[in-house]
Amino acid sequence: MTRSIPRRAFLKTSGLLGVWSALAACGAAPQAKAASTLSGSAPTPRPSPTSALTSPLQGEALLAHTLRRISWGATPEMFERARKIGLEAYLDEQLHPETLDDALLAGLLTRFSTLTMSPAERLQIEPPGRPVQELIAATLLRQRYSARQLVEVMVDFWTNHFNIYIGKNQCRALKTDDDLHVIRPHALGRFADLLDASAHSPAMLVYLDQAESTQAAPNENYARELMELHTISVEAGYSHHDVEEVARGFTGWSVAGPRSRRAAVGTYLFRPEFHDDSEKHVLGQHIPAGGGERDGQAVLALLADHPMTATFVSRKLARRFVADDPPPSLVTALAERFRASGSDIRQVLSDLLRSPEFLASAGQKVKRPLEFFVSALRVTAAELTPEARALGEHLRQLGELPFFWSPPDGYPDYAGWWTTTSGLLNRWNFAMLLTGGQIRGVKVDLHALTRAAASPTDVVDLLGLRFTGESLPEEARAILIDFASQGDLGRNLAAVAGLILGSPAFQVR
Amino acid sequence: MDNSLSRREFLKLAGGLGAYALAPSAALPAWMPRMAFAPPGVEPQGDLLLVVFQRGGMDGLSAVIPHGDPHYYRRRSALAIAEPESGDEETGLDLDGFFGLHPALRPLKDLWDEQALALVHAVGSPDLTHSHFDAMDYMERGTPGEKRIPTGWIGRHLQTAPWQNDSPFRAIGMGGILQASLRGPVAVTTLQSIADFHLQGRGEELARLQAALASLYDLGSDLDEEAAETFSATELLARLDVASYTPEGGAQYPETEYGMALKQVAQLAKAEIGLEVACVDVGGWDTHARQGALEGVMPRLLGEFAAGLAALYRDLGQRAQRATIVSMSEFGRRVQENASLGTDHGHGNVMFVLGGGVNGGKVYGEWPGLAEENLYGAGDLAITTDFRDVLGEIVQRRLANPDNLAQIFPGYSDWKMRGVVAPYEERG
Repeated sequence: MTRSIPRRAFLKTSGLLGVWSALAACGAAPQAKAASTLSGSAPTPRPSPTSALTSPLQGEALLAHTLRRISWGATPEMFERARKIGLEAYLDEQLHPETLDDALLAGLLTRFSTLTMSPAERLQIEPPGRPVQELIAATLLRQRYSARQLVEVMVDFWTNHFNIYIGKNQCRALKTDDDLHVIRPHALGRFADLLDASAHSPAMLVYLDQAESTQAAPNENYARELMELHTISVEAGYSHHDVEEVARGFTGWSVAGPRSRRAAVGTYLFRPEFHDDSEKHVLGQHIPAGGGERDGQAVLALLADHPMTATFVSRKLARRFVADDPPPSLVTALAERFRASGSDIRQVLSDLLRSPEFLASAGQKVKRPLEFFVSALRVTAAELTPEARALGEHLRQLGELPFFWSPPDGYPDYAGWWTTTSGLLNRWNFAMLLTGGQIRGVKVDLHALTRAAASPTDVVDLLGLRFTGESLPEEARAILIDFASQGDLGRNLAAVAGLILGSPAFQVR
Repeated sequence: MDNSLSRREFLKLAGGLGAYALAPSAALPAWMPRMAFAPPGVEPQGDLLLVVFQRGGMDGLSAVIPHGDPHYYRRRSALAIAEPESGDEETGLDLDGFFGLHPALRPLKDLWDEQALALVHAVGSPDLTHSHFDAMDYMERGTPGEKRIPTGWIGRHLQTAPWQNDSPFRAIGMGGILQASLRGPVAVTTLQSIADFHLQGRGEELARLQAALASLYDLGSDLDEEAAETFSATELLARLDVASYTPEGGAQYPETEYGMALKQVAQLAKAEIGLEVACVDVGGWDTHARQGALEGVMPRLLGEFAAGLAALYRDLGQRAQRATIVSMSEFGRRVQENASLGTDHGHGNVMFVLGGGVNGGKVYGEWPGLAEENLYGAGDLAITTDFRDVLGEIVQRRLANPDNLAQIFPGYSDWKMRGVVAPYEERG
């Protein structure tokens, strides 16, 4: 089932439908370096089931669990590197991504000219949907190819936390700036900085109607979501009066229009003439009159430092990395780290990924559709060529096209939302199309991946390990070997691979 | 339809473990491990509801023309439809001496004459936004001006309805993107085409794939139950035999995405697989330039819209007596036409309400008038009926869910129901 909401017809009218040819502008993708990796280094088999089940996880099982959780799909290259330098060092590397070479990806991204345009240029462009297409395509390429996988996971996390529906008004042109200058630079940085950047993000100010909020007619939308979804959450128990006060504090935080002399169109602009400069009381704190733009800054500081923000953000992180209903002990520990470190996301994540709760959580998260989709591309070493124009359409069908969740709360991150009738069917069909080589512009070479395999059993074991990072469960393995043994193995290959991608084991994060 | 599964058959299949034992082997493919639908409770008691959303902001003043209001002709010198002249196909189709249908809506005139079609004019959402996104969002969630409630009005209806229905086809969003009105705790299936709702593959190979998948999802994973439902749902739809479907009454659907969506809704309704609600979109109404009076975009859109609804009504046959079809659009358009021979975003609009339980042949609502002093905001048709009055009445009278309006339309209490539909018992 797809639950995203953008209206196809609406998109037609706004010239955005071209989004579905998301990768149209994407240049020639690099030839598969990944394809031969498995034959290069023989995979170490998982320890026997009994030892794999001991908690906390150890060895290969721990490796597989961790790599799956911190990436858009654990590839043989990731295993190889992690085995070589050790898991601890690998985590540090991912937590300090600036040390990782990403030149290959950078080369691919140069083809998207709207990524480097000014908001003014993007607002003028024809067709108006091009920045949207390119942002989606760039996002998919980053997830598929980037060496900095944990950053890409966190970018997706914050993209949903600070959700902006790209189909609303000028967001189609402004979300690119939000992605490049708000989310990405702060994805592993300080939450307080990220929050501050988001509050100044033109796309956010448009999306939540802040741009038009004036002292004569304060719009409470941003103020409300800022508290409810970005920081302290309703559990903090604030009142409607607090929302009104915060809304007054932000009056005048706006976006420059085409005729502005004070700032370039589509950039942040504080309009003092629209600011309510009288005193405010927010969450029991007094903000004196005459503060101007500093009123908003004071509110942001108050919210960033609030203990409920630490708890709320920590719980969401734990939900992403550990379980739909994460252990309170973990949330408490992470919230403490959040506060003690001055909202340092890197430190919180570092604790999280080494926590006993994390180690004990294998199998507890179901992949969302986007992760299912990208991880299938990654583990099959699929190459995205410029002809891969229908990927956006597949994602739309799966229900998680990036930037197209219209409510402010972001795509849900719990299994119940996604595991539905049409949701599973769409996954199965995508898996079959992908391994069957039937997705235009996407190249998958299963024969290259299974060169070392001589028998149906070999094929199942090799692909099972490659796709899921572990040996397949014994019963599933038997079913697949039986399937692979009927008829010609070569002809069965695509179906066997598709079945593994469609099986329960591959749906697990 | 011979190939359809009757409701009784469906319920038998849906009867849980007992059904597994009872199901004749011919009825279930070997690969289907078990049926996962929970035992059905009370059967749905209300009408089938179809909501057609006209995306982009339909120009209601062109669809249902106020030919009795002289200001209409003053402000629409290029776009107005001429006063009805009997026998002249280039004039409006008179309804009541004041309003008339655009000639492109002729397919609906018969339904008007049969009193199956009612119109509500100067209707809409009280929120003053001119943003497509916000206006649609408010309407579909049924909460104008209020962004805090994430669920849709239909989602809340399904949630609060005093009966259970665990069919995966209880609520359908046609088009592959879930309509916001359907959001809520009750699972909704989005469907682009019945023909494509199956595991892709061919012949024997497909059967093997299905068998293997079914086995893989019968090993105790958390996803097993959903998988079993998926198999059941695809199996149910496979029986519909899309290719050989012939609409009743010679109904001819437009060969468009919208027309095909309506046709499939009819098919699903006749298959008796538990369908209660369907949402269909029809787009292209954002006519800022060259919208056209008798030729062009607007008449083409209206023609498609009307032909689809008329075909669906005919095709449903007797079932139309237990169906309510309602149209909505996020806002109407500015009264004054613009310099590009189009119209800009406005406010009040018109809703079409069609069905066996509709008190048809009447235009409902007070006409606010198009004189300068009667216009709203930037020069828009004022609203005299809140769209929730129309929907609320349908929920209460036709969907047999009368006691939960406070949850379905939270924060709304100023009900002015106009009797657009009859209480279920009277006409049902």
